[in-house]
Amino acid sequence: MELSAAPKKHTWRRDWKMNKWLYFLAIPIFLYFLIFHYLPMFGLVISFQDFKPQRGVLGSEWVGFKNFADFFGGPNFWTILRNTLVISGLGMAVSFPLTIIYALMLNEIRCTWFKKTVQTIHYMPYFISMVVVCGLIIEFCSTNGMITNLLVNVFGIRRENLLQNPDYFWAINLISDIWKGLGYGAIFFVSAITSVGQELYEAAAIDGAGRLRRAWHITLPGITPAIVTMLVLNCGMILQVGSDKILLLYNASIYETADVISTHVQRMGIEKMQYGYASAVGLFNSVVGTILLLTSNCISRKLTDTGVI
Amino acid sequence: MIEKNNPSRILFNILNYGFMAAFAIVCIAPLWHVLMASLSNPRMLIMNTGLLWKPAGEITFKGYELVFRNGNILGGYGNTLLYVAWHAVVGTFFTLIAGYLVSRKDFKLQIPLLLFIMFTMMFNGGLIPTYQVQRAIGLINNKWAMMIPGMIGAFYVVMIKSAFEQLSPSYEESAKLDGAGPLTILFRILTPLIMPSLAVVIMFSVVMQWNSWYPASVYLPMSREDWPLQLFMREVLVQNNTAKIISGADAAAKADLTSNLVKYCVSIVGTLPILCAYPFAQKYFVKGVTLGGVKG
Repeated sequence: MELSAAPKKHTWRRDWKMNKWLYFLAIPIFLYFLIFHYLPMFGLVISFQDFKPQRGVLGSEWVGFKNFADFFGGPNFWTILRNTLVISGLGMAVSFPLTIIYALMLNEIRCTWFKKTVQTIHYMPYFISMVVVCGLIIEFCSTNGMITNLLVNVFGIRRENLLQNPDYFWAINLISDIWKGLGYGAIFFVSAITSVGQELYEAAAIDGAGRLRRAWHITLPGITPAIVTMLVLNCGMILQVGSDKILLLYNASIYETADVISTHVQRMGIEKMQYGYASAVGLFNSVVGTILLLTSNCISRKLTDTGVI
Repeated sequence: MIEKNNPSRILFNILNYGFMAAFAIVCIAPLWHVLMASLSNPRMLIMNTGLLWKPAGEITFKGYELVFRNGNILGGYGNTLLYVAWHAVVGTFFTLIAGYLVSRKDFKLQIPLLLFIMFTMMFNGGLIPTYQVQRAIGLINNKWAMMIPGMIGAFYVVMIKSAFEQLSPSYEESAKLDGAGPLTILFRILTPLIMPSLAVVIMFSVVMQWNSWYPASVYLPMSREDWPLQLFMREVLVQNNTAKIISGADAAAKADLTSNLVKYCVSIVGTLPILCAYPFAQKYFVKGVTLGGVKG
């Protein structure tokens, strides 16, 4: 440190001299994000074109908002939007509270080895690849599959391939999501619970509060910030139903309940090569998604002082 | 803390422990079934309708023999190992560099670079423009399409950044006094200190890459020789196409019987490595979730 009264200004020239090697290291990082993240953003202009790859972005015909009009006015728009909202809404209404209840229940288990063992086992489905999980779902829900047998015998439903019937898709998707993600999804809440002050529990125990009352009056308020953060962020992700599971499970006979925005983009863009149209749908999704994410992040910061961005 | 053992308490405990154990069984049972089925006699397996607790018929390894004699599966294994290793080593290396750059307060590009990287967490071009960019630069049906894109995750950069920021500046200062150059300081002094966070990044990228199938299905549609294991597994398990595994003279006669068996064996072959590894790695995943605040 120099002791001059007015310290030298930190100019670019000075910074270059001091941190020359940092600039060199920054080049590959900059190029990576430029090419794989920013170029595609500029590439979104093809949403306003009848894009033909052989003609390129500059040579393709401009069509204005035609692709957007095709999407919003198309026969599938409301179905796709409904499916997207229902599938993520079900996740929020069912999986999310279940995860919290599960975390609270796990917290009540005092026997350490039992807790560790079941927790490890409950994480397991998270690590199994989606391909294998979907392979199992397809197998178990086939006409003679185990789950079909069970439902036929217990509830007397008609014997059929459950994945061919649009009525069952939401349930199959929800239950398999819970199976795959419950244990892992609870990690966040389990760790939030451990940070709730022990002295509160002791005080409540002295006041004669039972376990249930303590869970309700101490643990739950203690992890409310965590819950709010997660809930708000889930709201921000409501249009981002991932395509990788649905692409593996769905088929033409259940598009009416299984087709969501991301699968629609994939089918129209990659399989049917309607690049302009699919890009427009993706742009709509990105813009709405970003607005929702920023809004919910803002709400989360206001409510609990935490956010992701 | 002293607990009263009143009846409702005991009932709650029974239900709670019972539920936890039951859910554990529900988690394991399907995989156990697959493992047992993969060792079963294919004739008996076809007649079986329930959950298997032990192999149907006497134990055989026929299915595994078929699977391991198959060039596709072995090739897929090799490719998956290559992609996993690449992302764990090279991807993590660049993530480390990026995280370090955006943690340096005395670097004038710190904030611009950080914003440049963080913006990609909020907005992205989406599938189709990304596809077109990769196509324009020749990253379709090419091994590199699995290696270069997805190398650096903005989320992990932020994680590494905060790990560097939590280190005391005295490490760097004393190393400087001892005459260490900037790269020596970064790689020999600071990196070992943030190893726990780096391990989290490595673990996540290993599991993600091992299980990933979607990018490969989009960017490698025609080059089977570059397919990762998961894509061959999709062919067998989801698209129900076992013909490419059961090949040979008596294929047609055997196909019906063995195709089921092959499916189970493929599932086990693709899942077992990660299942053996995750109990030891789980603490890193727990850490990743709590460090990141939100993920998954």
